[in-house]
Amino acid sequence: MTHSPGPKFALPVAVFLLACFAMPIVIVAWYSLMPPRTFDLGIDLTLANYHTAVTEGYARPLMWSLLGALITTLGTALIAWPSAVILHRHAGRGATVVSVLIALPIFISESVRLFGMNVFLMPRAGILAGSLDWAFGFKIGSILNTWMAALVGMIYIHLPFMLFPLLLGVSLIPQDRIEAARDLGANRWQTFREVELPLAAPGLLIGALLTFVLSLGANAEAAILGGRAVTVITAAIEQRFNYAQDWPMGAALTMVVIIVTAVIVLPVLARLDLNRLTQ
Amino acid sequence: MADAMQDSRPVILSLAGFSKSFGEIQAVDNVSLDISEGEFLTIVGPSGSGKSTLVRLLAGLESPSAGRLLLRGRDITVIPANRRPTAMVFQSLALFDHKSVGENIEFAMKMKGVPPADRKARVHELLRLVRLPESFYARATTQCSGGERQRIALARAFASDPDILFFDEPLSAIDYRLRKALEVEFKDLHQRTGRTFVYITHSLEEAMVMSDRIAIMQAGQIIQIGTPEEIYGKPANRFVAGFLGEVNILEVAGGHFAGLDRPAPANARRYAVLRPEALRPGKGDVTADLTVVQRLMLGSRTQLFLRSPTGAPLISEVAGDAPEFERGTTYSFGFSPDNIAWVDE
Repeated sequence: MTHSPGPKFALPVAVFLLACFAMPIVIVAWYSLMPPRTFDLGIDLTLANYHTAVTEGYARPLMWSLLGALITTLGTALIAWPSAVILHRHAGRGATVVSVLIALPIFISESVRLFGMNVFLMPRAGILAGSLDWAFGFKIGSILNTWMAALVGMIYIHLPFMLFPLLLGVSLIPQDRIEAARDLGANRWQTFREVELPLAAPGLLIGALLTFVLSLGANAEAAILGGRAVTVITAAIEQRFNYAQDWPMGAALTMVVIIVTAVIVLPVLARLDLNRLTQ
Repeated sequence: MADAMQDSRPVILSLAGFSKSFGEIQAVDNVSLDISEGEFLTIVGPSGSGKSTLVRLLAGLESPSAGRLLLRGRDITVIPANRRPTAMVFQSLALFDHKSVGENIEFAMKMKGVPPADRKARVHELLRLVRLPESFYARATTQCSGGERQRIALARAFASDPDILFFDEPLSAIDYRLRKALEVEFKDLHQRTGRTFVYITHSLEEAMVMSDRIAIMQAGQIIQIGTPEEIYGKPANRFVAGFLGEVNILEVAGGHFAGLDRPAPANARRYAVLRPEALRPGKGDVTADLTVVQRLMLGSRTQLFLRSPTGAPLISEVAGDAPEFERGTTYSFGFSPDNIAWVDE
């Protein structure tokens, strides 16, 4: 039997992954088991922080984060589906320009974009409120600094992460399958549910995973647009680490988020057949 | 246009002045056609003749630019595909590979809201109809062979209990032997079910095997429609004659067969279409000395590629392996003008 040199070649990557991806999680997990307000890693392990996480009202920020991530995922999917179908049907130069315009903002800092959105949503002389007032004499109250504004920002920021995988998913639907479904008596909704959605599912699932995980960890939207109208879990974690100087508590909350994310994401990931995307 | 055998069966589908253009291109050009209840009509044409567009118009997958479509006298021109009592077997078959064989077949019934138990019973019936084992119910379509996938597509089309079945070249990507077997099965299925079949193909040979009537399409128009015998015996023009396979087309000029230098009969028209088997070695009413250029053995018969003294190419078909017709030898060949089909264009 010959020995494959594979493991040796894989070693640098393995070391890199261990040092840069596994180690931080191990350190955070370790900190989460330290007594409150310690700054050293010791062997004096305790579950006190987890007890606090469950009893001291952190369920609420976590709930806001999960709900926000869910709404963002659904919202981006609802916007991205028709966009992806249109871009796919009209593939060509026009569609490429539109795709690039959607992708470009990714290269601009998220906070810059969110402050742009902030100007857009400002009350009275803000772009949205001012335009509506000027064009239609229609006055809207302030929507800035609400959870709704934070959600608008989340959907705005995360749309490309849903759109591009979905575009790939939509391109997996052969036109003749849609025609066959129509021919066999399916109306538009039935065609969508029975044929288009399952055939585009791999793209939709990847988009949903990306959007959900990114939204769950999002903080800036709630801060810049939401005006901290609601406290999301990432804000709570940041607070523990910075202002409260309670690293073990912040680490425990981080672990809770990681576990909750894993519980939600792993079953979806297990069902995903990436090979279908490359066929 | 020679009218076809008008059989006594009532008309199921009637097209009047049917046209479809895509921008500048006139894909279907003023087609009028009556399809009889229970008939097997095949529309034959080369690629780009508009036959696929025509069948897509009939199925409701495209809407016509002009014309009317009547199903048993009811105007269905603007009825969308999902509300037409017709079903199509696609060229690609368009099976739903994310569904099992059973789910594929029961699709139309599910869309209509048929209860699951009834659907399952009917799927088993349909599997028997297309001669697939009932164990296929739970199988993935991707695990089925090409022939099995054809049968699944057929069963799926039958499941909606359609008045008319359309076939858009389903056998074009299938190897020869399986295609031959499936042609016989399609014909058999047509006879057993008594449904109206409208079949699209580019192969006249396929059409000959299966059809009650054949319509030949060229440049968006039906240029001839009739029984296989009528198409074979009296092609409407050189295009149809050429479509029949290898055939001799002799131009008549100045009362003579050009290229043979022999006088043509009094009833001659512009072109004489002569089947290869009608040009025989030896005697005939019209004879000429022809040189063998190539000899092709086709099993039970032999095809001879010939050349007249003036250089006109001709084809003859003789029984057996005909070893005496070596390349370069010259023989007298003859034919009877009775065997000629005359065409003007």
